[in-house]
This record gives sequence, structure tokens and C-alpha cells, in this order.
Amino acid sequence: MATNRSGAAQRPNGAPQTKVCQFKLVLLGESAVGKSSLVLRFVKGQFHEYQESTIGAAFLTQTVCLDDTTVKFEIWDTAGQERYHSLAPMYYRGAQAAIVVYDITNQDTFGRAKNWVKELQRQASPSIVIALAGNKSDLAAKRMVEFEEAQAYADENGLLFMETSAKTAMNVNDIFLAIANKLPKSEGGGSAGAGGARRLGDAEQARSSSCCK
Amino acid sequence: MNEEALLARASEERERIFQRYERGRENLIGQIDPWEDPEFEDYHKTDRYGFIHDERLPQKTGPQKVNIEVEREKKWVKMLTNWDSPATKEKLHRRIYKGIPNSLRIKVWCKLMDVNKIKSANPGKFQEMLKLAKLWSTDVRQIDSDVNRQFREHQFYRERYSEKQCSLFNVLCAYSMYNSEVGYCQGMSGLAGVLLMYMDEEDAFWALAVLLSDKKYAMHGLYIEGFPKLTRFLEHHDKILTKFMPKLKHHFDKFGLDAILYSLKWFFVCFVERVPFSLCLRVWDIYLLDGERVVTAMAYTILKLHKKAIMKLNDMDLIVNYIQVKLHKDFGFEDDIVIYHLERSMEELKRAKLDYPGPPPPNELPKRQLGLFVEPDKKSKIGQRAENFSETEKQARATVILRREKAAIELQELRVSQSDTVSEHSGVAGGIRCDDSVSALGSRRSLADTSVTSTADLSVFSSGRSHAMDNSLDTHSNVSDDATGSDGSGICGLSIQRAPSTAHSTPRATPHPPSVSPMSDDVVRIHVTYNPRAGSPHLHPISPSKYKAYNNEEHHKPVSLGFYSNGSTNLPSDNRIRIQVPSESEELLTPVVDAGNNITPRFIESHTEMYGS
Repeated sequence: MATNRSGAAQRPNGAPQTKVCQFKLVLLGESAVGKSSLVLRFVKGQFHEYQESTIGAAFLTQTVCLDDTTVKFEIWDTAGQERYHSLAPMYYRGAQAAIVVYDITNQDTFGRAKNWVKELQRQASPSIVIALAGNKSDLAAKRMVEFEEAQAYADENGLLFMETSAKTAMNVNDIFLAIANKLPKSEGGGSAGAGGARRLGDAEQARSSSCCK
Repeated sequence: MNEEALLARASEERERIFQRYERGRENLIGQIDPWEDPEFEDYHKTDRYGFIHDERLPQKTGPQKVNIEVEREKKWVKMLTNWDSPATKEKLHRRIYKGIPNSLRIKVWCKLMDVNKIKSANPGKFQEMLKLAKLWSTDVRQIDSDVNRQFREHQFYRERYSEKQCSLFNVLCAYSMYNSEVGYCQGMSGLAGVLLMYMDEEDAFWALAVLLSDKKYAMHGLYIEGFPKLTRFLEHHDKILTKFMPKLKHHFDKFGLDAILYSLKWFFVCFVERVPFSLCLRVWDIYLLDGERVVTAMAYTILKLHKKAIMKLNDMDLIVNYIQVKLHKDFGFEDDIVIYHLERSMEELKRAKLDYPGPPPPNELPKRQLGLFVEPDKKSKIGQRAENFSETEKQARATVILRREKAAIELQELRVSQSDTVSEHSGVAGGIRCDDSVSALGSRRSLADTSVTSTADLSVFSSGRSHAMDNSLDTHSNVSDDATGSDGSGICGLSIQRAPSTAHSTPRATPHPPSVSPMSDDVVRIHVTYNPRAGSPHLHPISPSKYKAYNNEEHHKPVSLGFYSNGSTNLPSDNRIRIQVPSESEELLTPVVDAGNNITPRFIESHTEMYGS
């Protein structure tokens, strides 16, 4: 007779279990800084020079593998134009992570990024993990925002910070990985104010294993 | 930086951007960044509308079609010369639904929108607005960045600062001054971009003005702060779905998919970049004739035509990708077929009095006089993000959140009523109309496949939120494997009745392991204890045909499912079933809870003393 098993602890097929966590991540930032391009690079490995402007919001998912955990990101990519700002809280509501993006060739977009960080600190879940991405680092010749300036700002505010390039793929996966590493992955999700990680069933795990080959 | 310096910087930026468009491509040689321009290509193909394709053209216009179009052109030329005649009025509807010949589209569109009338009533206005924009428009940076990415795969817009790019910039900048309440809102570049494929700058400007402020189209309410018209039309769209395609609505709700995510561009830009361009033009033809109810009907038509495919997608990103990306690349139906269905949809909606959400309330209409100069305030001049939301914005956001919450509650209620229906074994889900006949076979399959065999303790899980639907199949495949590996000495079968919320489950080619996570949103664990008296070790899942019989006749007896193949017709007294629903479930979506409650008495009635042990 087979022994009773507690179904929660083991997979029926006996394979070792990897913890799978699901997080809601939102991208914010001024229009045309490259939010959608970062997502497209991260999710599909592609880059379009003329990425269609995001109207409202877009939704994509991607999974990353850490040592003992698989993290599935539900990514909400928002529109940058001020008019759509009012819809943003719909998307960052309940988000466990945010990437605030600016364009290193445009000082104004850095100022806007700071405003977004302020808004998140004020309105979003207190335990939200915020990353600051200085995008378009391939255009370093036209740089208007110094790396050190942004790094200092990020340090002051406890943000993850990287300069990225969706075009060359520089630091794109890295910034998502850094977020995945920083997110609390405890069971029950009590540690994260926004509900914490939502663990996935194996069914979902099996199909979202694009990076776990 | 102080305010003055910020103002100066903003105005410098505006002038710099303007100057580049004024000089145009020829005068900017060596000054256009390489990344702003597409790479030089030796060879590519351009379709009849001007879009450039790297590969083979998606659709060939056969010689037969060309002949038809030539014939139509003759008729249209005649009609255009007698535009106001009764004969034209009589034929116009039928001919427009057949499609305006592309070569005459510009003329017909201008007639339908009466562009000449508004243009001749406002001589010099466009140039005046453009001049004002150069001095005052606060939307120049946004317009510039959108012109840089609108229709870049079209020959007109491919090269940076090409003539049409400059026109697009001018039309949008001028309009941002003409209608100071709207200014520029992302999405408008798509509208103006299409118009400019057919019209010159000034005509396109006035056509845009007509689209926004003429009551037939009334797009003004879409673009203003808080997007009131969008909210109103999305609510109406949801109403249509609830009435005509409740299962699809339910499917969307299950994944928390709000219409605002998948259909925004349908309403905002009348299907530009959401359906193939040839079809988009056909819809525009009809939209320009019949106005805003066409958008409502087309939204319904798209979902109607693709309902089956969408119902098979069990992830929000798959659904969104299908609706937004796949359908843009390949709609899967000939344009004529789609238009046929669109016309039927319009009739259908009209009969149900759902063709029109009603005339625009005052808050969707322009309040200020159009074309009147209003000096922007300092904040918008500098381009500072507002610190706080306006009341309108707060309201818009609350509406969407409320709609989501309402949908979640409705979903739960629906599931309750469905599980009631299950316990009563009526074939039709409570609250669901039969006309939504998606994959009835699938439901049978899934139920049949859920009938599993196993040794001793058996744990079956419904999966988390996103995959509840096809889980029954996975469960089957995996638990069967499990059974094979056991000693097989004593076997009992278990049939799990699932609420018809799983009715659209579709068999998948590659089964995956069942969910065992205790953190899944919807989890029901059914333990069946080992029963030594249950005879045959070879219980098989019942076939769909058997399920049918079960569903029709012997449904009141779970044993008729082949529960015990030793011929026992009564539940053995030592068989225990515990139904456990973990309390960690963090979201509302726990349909099986109710299903479980309804199953419980049926199975355990005579074993209450053991329940929960």
C-alpha cells in the first residue's frame, strides 16, 4: 500500500521541488525613455528601434531562475504620458516591485523618475522593491545624467540602480535578476506588505520554464 | 534651477524641435542621429497601402480582386460627381460596406467627414494654430517622440523628418493649440497618421478636428483628462459581453483581464495597429459613414469571431498577446467576411438595443471654444508632473478599480450559482446562457478525464488562479502515473465533479504536473482512503460518451461513474472523503470551495462521523 503523503510537500512525480514565486512588477517613467523596450528585451530578447508607443498599459510575463527559486514576473508596462498618469496607480497597486526608468541623455526624464520614486514611496506598498534604470546607456556620447549622480540618489533612497541599454541588452536581465534576488520569497507572503510572493503551482511552473532549460 | 531658467529651457527645447521639422530631412543632412533613421536596406517590399515588409506580402490582391476594384471605381467616380443625389444616398451604405476603392478613399473620406465645409469656414486657422504652437504648445516634446515612432514601417514615415513626418508633427502641434482641453494625447498620432496617408496637412488637420468634435464620432471625450468616453464605452462593451458572450466575459474576469487592457486601442484609434491595415481601412470606411456605434459593434465582432481561440488561452498575457499582436499580424478571416459579420453584429446589437451607449453627456464635450488661444499655465510650460491627481482623474481610476472589484464579486457569485447547478445536475451552468456555446465537448472531456484511479490516498489539486481551467486534465495524467508506480493491490476510483466554470477546458497536447502548491489560490484537496474491498485494479477513466450518459441519466449516483467496478452499487461504509480548502487562499477566486460544499453531502452523508478526521 502506498503511504499517505502530504501533497503539499512533494510533487507527485517525486522530482525535487523548486520554489516558484510570482511577483507583480510595474514599469514607470517618462514617455519614450524605453520602458517597453526594456520589457521587450527582457521577455523576448528583441529590440525594435521604433517601439510602438504604449497606450494605457501592456502586460507580459517572464520567469527567472535563482539558485533555489523560480521567480515569475507579471510585468505591467505603463504609458509615460502625463495624461495616463492617473491610471498608473491601478497598475502599481499591489505591485511588489517597480522599475523606474529614465533616459541618460535627457536630464528631465531623471527629474521625472525622482517624482515617480517619491510617488511610489508615498502611495505604493511600503515593502515595494524599487529599481532605478538609466536606460539608453549605448548613447553615452550624448549623456546628460552622470552615473555618479544617479547612483548617489539611488543610495540615498535605498533603490537598486543600474544603467541599462535595451538596444545592446546591457544590464537588462541583470536588473530584473537583482530585483528577483532582493524580493522576499518567504512562504505565506507575510513579509511583503503587498501580499508577498504568490507561490505557483507546478502546473504553472512547468510551463513558465523558459529560462530553466 | 529656478522657474525662469526652467521656462527658458522648455521654450528653447520647443523651438529646437520645431526648427528641425521646419528644415526637414533635406536640410538636416549629417544632423540626424543614426539611431533615428532606419538602416539602409537593399531590398524590401511595400504593400499597396505603403507599408514596408521584410518578407513576402501578407496578402496578395488577386487579378480577380483588381478587376472588381476597377469596376467599383467606375461606379464610385460616378457617385462622387453626384454626391448629394438621392441615387447616391440610396447606394452609399451598400457600397461603403463593400469597401471604398483605395484610389478614391481620400475623396470619399473627405465627403463623409465634410472636411471642405469646416475648412472653408475657417480660412487661415490651421496656419494660425501652427504659429501659436511654435510659441506656446506644451505638447511638442511628446508629439516629437511619438512622431519618431508612429508608422515607421510605412514608406511615408520611414525616414526621420520626411515630408509626412513633418506634416504629422505640424497637424498634431496645431491641433494641440486648436483644442486646448485635449492638447495632445497619445493615440492621436495614430489617427492623424492614417489621415495623412491619404490627405494633405490641412485636410488632415480638419479631418482630425471633425473626428474629435463632430457628434457622430465625438472622440474628444476619449482623450480628455480622465478619459470619460472610454469609461462609458468600456462599460457598454462589458454589458454586451455579459449578455451575448458570458462565458468569454467570465474567462476574462477569471484572469483579472479588464477590457481597458485589451481593447483600449480599439476605442482610441479605431483599430489602428490592432487589426491588419486593409481591414482597419474597411472599418474606418464604415466608421466614417455610421459613426461611433461601428466601434462598439466591431469590438463585439472581433471577440465573437475569435471567441473559441481566446477561450483556449489560459494566461492573461497569452490572451492579450492574441488580441493585440496576433490579430494585428493576421486576423484569420478575410476582410469581406469580417465586414459581413460586423454588419450582422450591428443588426444584432440594434435588436437588443445595445448598439449605442447613448449620446455624450456634457463632460465629454468641448467646454472651451475651439480654436481660441488659451495660454498654458507655468507648470505645463515647464512640463512638471502634477503632484496630485485632479478629481476627474481620481474618479476615472476609481471607476476602473470598482469595475474590477465588481467583476471579481460577480465571478464568485457566478461560481456559487454554478456549483449549485452542479449539485442539481442540470446540464446548464447557472447564470450562463446557452447561446455561448463554446466547447461543450471540451467540458465533457475534462470531466471525463478527471475521473481518475489511484491507490490509497489521492490528492487532487485545482491549480492556481491562472490555470484552474485545464487542471483537470493534468490531474488525470499525473495521478494515473502515480497509480502505475504503486503496488496496485487495492484501488478505489474517484470522480471529481467540477463546477462548470471549467466547462471550457480544452485538452492540451502536453500534460504537465498538477499543482501541489499550498499557496495556490484555489485549492481543493480530496483524500480518498485506501479501500481494500474495492476490487479491480484496472479502473479506467470514463470516456466522454460515458460521461454523456452519466450527465443525462444516472447522474444522481456517483457510483455510476464506474466508481467501484466490483459491482457494488452502494458507497462502502469505510470509504471516506475529506474535502479540505486551505484558508491561505488570498484572493476571491475559490470556486471549488462551493463546489466542494455541494459535493460533500452527496458523498459523505452517511459518514458524517468520519468527516474531518
